[in-house]
Amino acid sequence: MKGPLAKTAILLVGMYVFLKFILPLITAPLPASLIFLYLALTLASAMIFYTMSGGSLDEFMGPIGRFLTGSGQAGIAGTARILVFVLFPLLVGWQTYTRLAPSDMPPAENRTIHPAPPGEFVGLANPYPTTPENIMMGKGLYAAFCSPCHGANFDGKGPAAVGFNPPPANFSDPGTIAQLQESYLFWRIKKGGVGLPVEAMPWKSAMPRWEVELPDEWIWKIIMGEYDGAGQSPRTWEEEE
Amino acid sequence: MKNHGIIENLKSMVPTVKPSSLFGWSVFWALVLLPALVWAQDAATQAMSVEYRDIPGLGSRNVVWVVAQQHLLLAGFVLGVPIFAWVCEIVGWKTKEARYDKLAKEFTKLLTSAYATTALFGGILLFLLIGLYPKLMAYLSDIFFPSFIVYCLLFLLETVTLYLYWYGWDAMQGNKKTFHLFLGFLLNVFALGIMIVPNAWATFQASPVVVAEGTAIDRAWAATWNPTWWPVNIHRLIANVVLGGFICGAYAGIRYLLAASQEEREHYDWMGYVGNFIGVFGMLPLPFAGYWLMREIYQYNQQMGITLMGGFLAWLFILQAMLIGVLFLGANYYFWMGITYRIPGSERSYRRPILAMLIVLMVCLGVWMTPHSLVASLEEARKMGGTHHPLLGVFGVMSAKMTVANLMILVTFMSFIMYWRAGKQETAAWAKIAKAVMGALLVIAGIAVIVLGVWGYFVPAIIRINYFSVAQVLIVLFVMVTFTPLTAVLMKSAKTTTEMVWGRMPIRAGYALVSNAVMVILLMSLMGYARSSSRVHWHIYGVMRDTSEYAYSPALGYAAAFMSLNTFVFCLLVAFIFWVATMGDKGKKTPDQEEPEPAKIPAGVTPAMAGGAPREKA
Amino acid sequence: MSEVALLQLIGLTVVGLGICILLFIKGKFLRVVGFVVIVLGTFTLIALGVPQMASLPPAIETFDIAEVKTPDDLASIGQKIFFSKGQCALCHSIGPSESARCPDLKGIGAKLAPEFIYESLTDPQAYIYLDFRHEGLPKEYPARMPYIHKNPIALSQQEIYSVISFLQKMSGEPISVKIEDVMNIGKENEMEVASLTVNGAP
Repeated sequence: MKGPLAKTAILLVGMYVFLKFILPLITAPLPASLIFLYLALTLASAMIFYTMSGGSLDEFMGPIGRFLTGSGQAGIAGTARILVFVLFPLLVGWQTYTRLAPSDMPPAENRTIHPAPPGEFVGLANPYPTTPENIMMGKGLYAAFCSPCHGANFDGKGPAAVGFNPPPANFSDPGTIAQLQESYLFWRIKKGGVGLPVEAMPWKSAMPRWEVELPDEWIWKIIMGEYDGAGQSPRTWEEEE
Repeated sequence: MKNHGIIENLKSMVPTVKPSSLFGWSVFWALVLLPALVWAQDAATQAMSVEYRDIPGLGSRNVVWVVAQQHLLLAGFVLGVPIFAWVCEIVGWKTKEARYDKLAKEFTKLLTSAYATTALFGGILLFLLIGLYPKLMAYLSDIFFPSFIVYCLLFLLETVTLYLYWYGWDAMQGNKKTFHLFLGFLLNVFALGIMIVPNAWATFQASPVVVAEGTAIDRAWAATWNPTWWPVNIHRLIANVVLGGFICGAYAGIRYLLAASQEEREHYDWMGYVGNFIGVFGMLPLPFAGYWLMREIYQYNQQMGITLMGGFLAWLFILQAMLIGVLFLGANYYFWMGITYRIPGSERSYRRPILAMLIVLMVCLGVWMTPHSLVASLEEARKMGGTHHPLLGVFGVMSAKMTVANLMILVTFMSFIMYWRAGKQETAAWAKIAKAVMGALLVIAGIAVIVLGVWGYFVPAIIRINYFSVAQVLIVLFVMVTFTPLTAVLMKSAKTTTEMVWGRMPIRAGYALVSNAVMVILLMSLMGYARSSSRVHWHIYGVMRDTSEYAYSPALGYAAAFMSLNTFVFCLLVAFIFWVATMGDKGKKTPDQEEPEPAKIPAGVTPAMAGGAPREKA
Repeated sequence: MSEVALLQLIGLTVVGLGICILLFIKGKFLRVVGFVVIVLGTFTLIALGVPQMASLPPAIETFDIAEVKTPDDLASIGQKIFFSKGQCALCHSIGPSESARCPDLKGIGAKLAPEFIYESLTDPQAYIYLDFRHEGLPKEYPARMPYIHKNPIALSQQEIYSVISFLQKMSGEPISVKIEDVMNIGKENEMEVASLTVNGAP
């Protein structure tokens, strides 16, 4: 079997095998939604490439058309055609059934990791100067209140972290606090998981509402200590030297 | 010698459209606008009791949504087309090629017929807004009244100029042509004014500047010059050209599909090519303008920025990536098909570069469409350790998206260069060196963009935004600015090995053009929804709260249904307008009409836009 | 049937209709319509497939003096007013910002006495700064600041005091506004405050 159609099929299968079985050898397995996306893009590429000229279009679509119309199909091909026509409705039916059948698996979810903060927190700035003393104090407070979950190395791997899903944020990842302004952290620390807005549903955050335990001054200093300890700097609009 | 029979017949068609009807409509609406404004003023002083009215069953917001979107899309078309119609006219005037003049005139015909409908929808929108949102409109008229007057004046001037431009087209050929071109210039100046004045009202709602003291003009001016005004102006200006180009392309595509004769096929094949070219040309700088706008919004208000990029609208940008991806693919697909079909025997030699470009585009698109937080079942999320994938999660952030967007632009530009050079053989002695330099430059630019993108992960956000992203954009722009004139010079001396054959494109090409137009319209609807819902529950951000029952922003699926509806209605509307506008063509067509011979020009001198237009067959 | 399911059904029907047009109808223009319908239907179905989140407006905050117990409570009310009803953040920022058109208020609570801030809010031109940034005699530099206690913003005295306490807190200062005083304003000027709030309701 040569020709565009077979090549496309081989490409798709190869891609699937790579994404599903080979990639997980070096990293975490991919969710099904992502695999589907990449396969769809692969299929689209093949279709675009093979419909570029008249010749390759015929090679690509011809077999499909012949198979569906049944022209010149005999023997195995003919039987396969009837088989497909019987199996296809069954496949659709099965798909519908699995969609509708009750399952004990929780549905696939999407969580807005960084919902927009409420207006009154947006424009705040840290009122305390970035001095070594303040940073030291912040790190001390961090060690006392935050490190059990977020880890002594600011990597989200504290002793209590294993109990949480989703896991505590890893501050050393450039995709977390480095993307945010200090006021954002102030809001999340102060209001905790229960303070998340509607758009952050489902409110899956075990972050305590620290405003009941810590004064604002401590929170600001913890933020300073966090950025310093994780080797990140807050997002700003001013360039600081 | 009957390549352009239809266009030629336009001249004879002109008198069939009654000037009075179109002009009457515009004057009618212009007159209607003024008392309506006074009405709004009255509402401000006395009847503050009614804050909202509703249309039962439909919902006031839904109605305004549809009407505003129709008005905006029509306006985008009406303001975008004169830009390239005028450029096209200049090209025709400079190169002395009648073909371009005719094309410009055909563009203007579409424009003239869409103009009255735009004003009509604007009027309906105004009445609806005054009726349904009296509180908001009273506030806005209180601040913007001086600019309402300016808007009305601009509208009158635009109308007069448009009629002079359109009806004077044939009368002003010859030595009056320069005056006609000046009219075209004025038309664009007024059109720009008509666009930026209402932009001020809309951007004021997102980033208000309220001054309590001073005269009415002071306050209006302060409110007009708000932080997102110019970013939106630039973004819309470019987007209008893109919209206009792709709609003209789609028009040509449909006419191509419906064409009965070979002449028509050749003409509309060429027009479709020009439309697609204009669309692509505008699309290349568009992401840069969008990025600037986004940056200004983020800077103006972090909350709004996060709502858009990370909050409840985050998925919208994945949809946007999908639509832009399809648009880029569609435009490239059309270019590539153009090479394989219009240049006989070229399929073999272009297969490899096309495949390489396709793979780069697809990889970029894959990166762009990979969301930061993935949709995953509980089990999958547990294996990944959260909804961020440890490896692919890095594709989710801005640094990666900017990089692939730049690469896609670069590839599309190369597609265009490849098409331009297809079927020609350089003769200049330095051609080899020039090509080597260009190749090296391209490779370096690509690598530099990727390096900056990867490096962007390791520097503070502000450095990335202010330097790295800007540098990426400048690199890509540099490539475009150096390659275009260089290729033009190379092509000047090149000899044509294979003539382009027009009118041989398959049916797919027509559909590709239609698909591109649909994508652009959908994108504009989508981003309109983004702009509007980033204000969340505010009419005027931070100043006037939306207290109606429609203060919530609907979810994407519901919004997408409306966008699709709007797109469909708009397409039908435009199809109807164009059908009416070209109705006279067939009736008036006389088979033996004399057509002036287009001036012969040496091969290769044709400017980029021509791309080797249909030539007269001997 | 949920809204999403209903829209999905409509989307599928529309796509099916488009496919039928492409399969059975020869008219070229209708075929293009069918094609457009398929594209739009598919787009809608994809958009219905991504997570659906609506953004609901938050509850409208009301300023209730009875709930104020500590100066911090007052400051947190002031914080909300600063960023919403008071419209302060439209021009001023706390901390450096490129988009702010008026002075940066970071540390202002430590720099200025509460009485002075109160005067600046209610009579912005009472004390006019001099501009020395040019040659010759210094010029007066009147603030383009609205009267905060008058329309259109019209904050009550209590609200102004809570904003001041917020500014003090944001400067790392102890809040010097006394709760009792603020409470008393409420009693003395009850009528006036009430009328102002009605006028100023946004």
